[in-house]
Amino acid sequence: MADLLETVEAKLRAGERLSFDDGVALFRHKDLLAIGRLANFVRERLHGDRTYFNKNMRIEVTNVCVASCLFCSFAKLEEDMPGAHTMTLQEAWRELEQRMDDPPSEVHVVNGLHPGLPFSYYEELLKGFKRIKPDVHLKCFTAVEVHFFAQHYGMTYAQVLTQLQQAGLGSLPGGGAEIFHPEVRSRISHDKATADEYLAVHRTAHAMGMMTNMTMLYGHIETFEHRVDHILRVRTQQDESRAMGANAGKVQAFIPLAFHPDGNGMKNLPAPTAVDDLRTIAVSRLLLDNVEHIKSYWVSSGPDVAQIALSFGADDVDGTIVHETIYKAAGSNRPEGMSEAALIRLIREAGRTPVERDTLYGVVREHPAALLPEGALKVKDRNANRHLQVVS
Amino acid sequence: MAARQSPLRVAGVQYLNARPLYEGLAECSRIELTLGLPAEVARRIDEDEADVALMPIAAAATIGDLRMVRGSAIGARGAVRSVLIVADQPIEDVDEIALDLSSRTSVVLARLVMAMRRTRAPKYVGLPAGDALASVGGSRGALIIGDPALAIVGKYKYSLDLAQAWFEHTALPFVFAAWCGRPGAIGKDDERLFDDARVLGLRRRDAIADAWAMDRGLEPEPYRSYLREALRYGFGEDEIAGLRRFYDEAARARLLPKTQVRFFDEAPSRSMSVPSVDTLLSRAADGERLSAADGELLLERGSLFDLGLAADAVRRRKHPHDVVTYIVDRNVNYTNVCTTSCRFCAFYRPVGHPEGYVLSREQLGEKMQEVVDAGGVQILLQGGLNPELPLRWYEDLFRWIKAEYKLGLHALSPEEIIHIAGLESLSTREVLERLRAAGMDSLPGGGAEILVDRVRRKIAKAKCSSDGWLGVMRTAHQLGMRSSATMMYGTVDTPRDRVTHLVKLRELQDETGGFTAFFCWDFQHENGVRIEAGDHGTHLYLRQQALARLMLDNIDHVGASWVTQGPEIGQLALRFGADDFGSVMFEENVVSSAGTTYCINAEAIEARIRGAGFKATRRNVRYEWLTQPA
Repeated sequence: MADLLETVEAKLRAGERLSFDDGVALFRHKDLLAIGRLANFVRERLHGDRTYFNKNMRIEVTNVCVASCLFCSFAKLEEDMPGAHTMTLQEAWRELEQRMDDPPSEVHVVNGLHPGLPFSYYEELLKGFKRIKPDVHLKCFTAVEVHFFAQHYGMTYAQVLTQLQQAGLGSLPGGGAEIFHPEVRSRISHDKATADEYLAVHRTAHAMGMMTNMTMLYGHIETFEHRVDHILRVRTQQDESRAMGANAGKVQAFIPLAFHPDGNGMKNLPAPTAVDDLRTIAVSRLLLDNVEHIKSYWVSSGPDVAQIALSFGADDVDGTIVHETIYKAAGSNRPEGMSEAALIRLIREAGRTPVERDTLYGVVREHPAALLPEGALKVKDRNANRHLQVVS
Repeated sequence: MAARQSPLRVAGVQYLNARPLYEGLAECSRIELTLGLPAEVARRIDEDEADVALMPIAAAATIGDLRMVRGSAIGARGAVRSVLIVADQPIEDVDEIALDLSSRTSVVLARLVMAMRRTRAPKYVGLPAGDALASVGGSRGALIIGDPALAIVGKYKYSLDLAQAWFEHTALPFVFAAWCGRPGAIGKDDERLFDDARVLGLRRRDAIADAWAMDRGLEPEPYRSYLREALRYGFGEDEIAGLRRFYDEAARARLLPKTQVRFFDEAPSRSMSVPSVDTLLSRAADGERLSAADGELLLERGSLFDLGLAADAVRRRKHPHDVVTYIVDRNVNYTNVCTTSCRFCAFYRPVGHPEGYVLSREQLGEKMQEVVDAGGVQILLQGGLNPELPLRWYEDLFRWIKAEYKLGLHALSPEEIIHIAGLESLSTREVLERLRAAGMDSLPGGGAEILVDRVRRKIAKAKCSSDGWLGVMRTAHQLGMRSSATMMYGTVDTPRDRVTHLVKLRELQDETGGFTAFFCWDFQHENGVRIEAGDHGTHLYLRQQALARLMLDNIDHVGASWVTQGPEIGQLALRFGADDFGSVMFEENVVSSAGTTYCINAEAIEARIRGAGFKATRRNVRYEWLTQPA
């Protein structure tokens, strides 16, 4: 066991890539803190104490969906089923209008695969957001939705993405990746985009210069091998995308998402525990040497575990969100949104420096340590003296 | 005049070359002098059996964070005659050097000098002193130290005096040994004693050499000149520079840990005498006791991983079977009527309030039966300080519970005991004796909050003092009852207050041994309205618990407080020093009034224990295993 840690550490220091076997062994390793410390080493080498968040909002315009994913508690199959709801364009736009006194920098839209809407609905949706706030970044539609649009409306991925881009689309969110491996994917989400199709959509977006995120839904029926396979497929795609040149897009952030069991087809499974959440963040950080950011999505793990994840490889907690319905439908009892002040506090309490970013990781505002209470300042001064005395 | 002082414990080395430094000390009444071999002397400092010891400098570096006495040392500026490499061929050409390993300082010096003189390092072979000398021949040389070295001068064709070689390369003297101790071990007046002893010893060098030689039936002259000419006993600027150079070179060659030369008299402020976080953590992980200052430093500067890994190591040492316990019990709050009105409490109701209650026998019986049905082993009975419930009420209740349900009675925190004593005009001992006779088994550790009265006055004015709380626990322990200990932080407390709290618990535990376990949590402020939250967060909770595991070396168990932190963080706490997952809770009114409403069953607790890499077992209040760990 100790050998594994030494080997991994030596590889990390030498900038060498970890293998599939390394990844599986790290997942199996019992010493959570030792793995975390390695991931933290990489995280601090990349980002120091900087920890990113943004002011964003989520809108799910429809939960009508032709796919029947086992893990999903959100989507309703048909339009007239109880609980099924599709917003009018006006309703969707109003969500943003209501936020304009403290506007988000990003609108994040993820939907069910609705069979009855015209493609123009989505184009108009984006255009409307841009009319309300011309500089808002629209991070909308997972690769699974883009694949569905292409099939449903008879277009290529490039055509779908180009038209959406013309309507205001800025980047793609990472949802819909679930677990790539066919042994798992065929059982939990057999009737939507395959792994290859998901990756092809991202590849197309990257070729157009568009940034994307990628995710992994873990903690259900998959094995550690499936997780590592998944993460390495992300790594391979990123290698390919980075080889496209400086103008190409790439995967900005990888986001492990914890499976929540309530109200879906896998409700008999236990939810992954905090140890699994942290281990997954840490191994993701260690394996993905070509992806800059690992996000600990606080809605998925809860704010408390997300705070600890900032020492286990994550450098981003996502954003204020305001209104989240997908995890909520799966039994999450967590708050739907967090204020900017609460996010800053969460990051500071972890000993990190909060950095508000835009969707493309441009710095909006840094929040270096605020004025500390008097006692804390004294402590700091004492440290400063001690340091000076040792140096001199 | 001056306050009576405890004697200064000084350890000297019994070798001839050390005698001039300590002979004078033997006559000083303030000093308790013991003599030993270098390894024994180093152990005495390491284990705090001596305040100051004459230590070989390599041993001093290994212990780390020691201070030296200025003015006196054993050194040489040029040939010393007692530390030699000998061979039949030129030293530059030998392939192997047999090392007498009895002096690490000489071994390190030999390796450094050889590295300075040659591009290719010889092979080093460790051997006992006699064997090393016997193995010299051909291309093998040997490092010879002390008396054997003095005895072989001129007997080998080639020999290298290492102090001389050091001087030739560095133009600096070499220091072999100096007076060392922990920071603050001696004061200014004591330092003067060592100076006086050196002056006296230098005057007596010939007599010391003569006596030594006579004992062994040897000629005195070589020993006279050894003490007079070869050795130097001053410790001035040149010697300090030589020692610093040695430490730097040895650290660079990875032969010794990185070491700074520091003196007792240069530690006027606390900051200069603070050991590093790493030193503290490795000491604590090895079971050494941390001071309050150590604890504060760790809380300030120890990272999540630093503290977590050290606490995990302590947990593993204390509980090597990788088993985490939990208990099936029920927290019953028998009344919410309370006179204290703590500012952090959202549960209590004042006397006469329409929402005030006292549970009836029927209500209690129902709850008790549910515990029995669920395989529970104990009931945790706590409530407000209700002035309408006399001691008799508790005695009757306890006897009834014992007779009807045979459950363990983990009941009444110190605050409630003090309250009942006041109500009945009895001593707390009398109250505890009577309750014990009525069936009370143990006490929960609640209400400790922070055992610093400044903090207690601010958050819970009407509550008992720190001494009151500790006093009830002391008495209960003396009567043979066990209790847990707790800490609630995150109000107006500072890091120092939290460390003080831990030290007070540790001191009482030294006295009684009655605490079974420690739990901590941060103030749950959501609806607990009347006080601002202080230092908070999951990150701090895990660090704080880890520090408690490191500080509380005499308390067996540390429990994760999942009821307040949530089951996810409760699980993580198992990797930060905890070996217990608390109780399966049927209800917990106090914390849930403050907005925290976690509720999980035994199955979910076990899943989390196993998910963290442990086996799970049920326990009783004494932490005895009730089921096979699985």
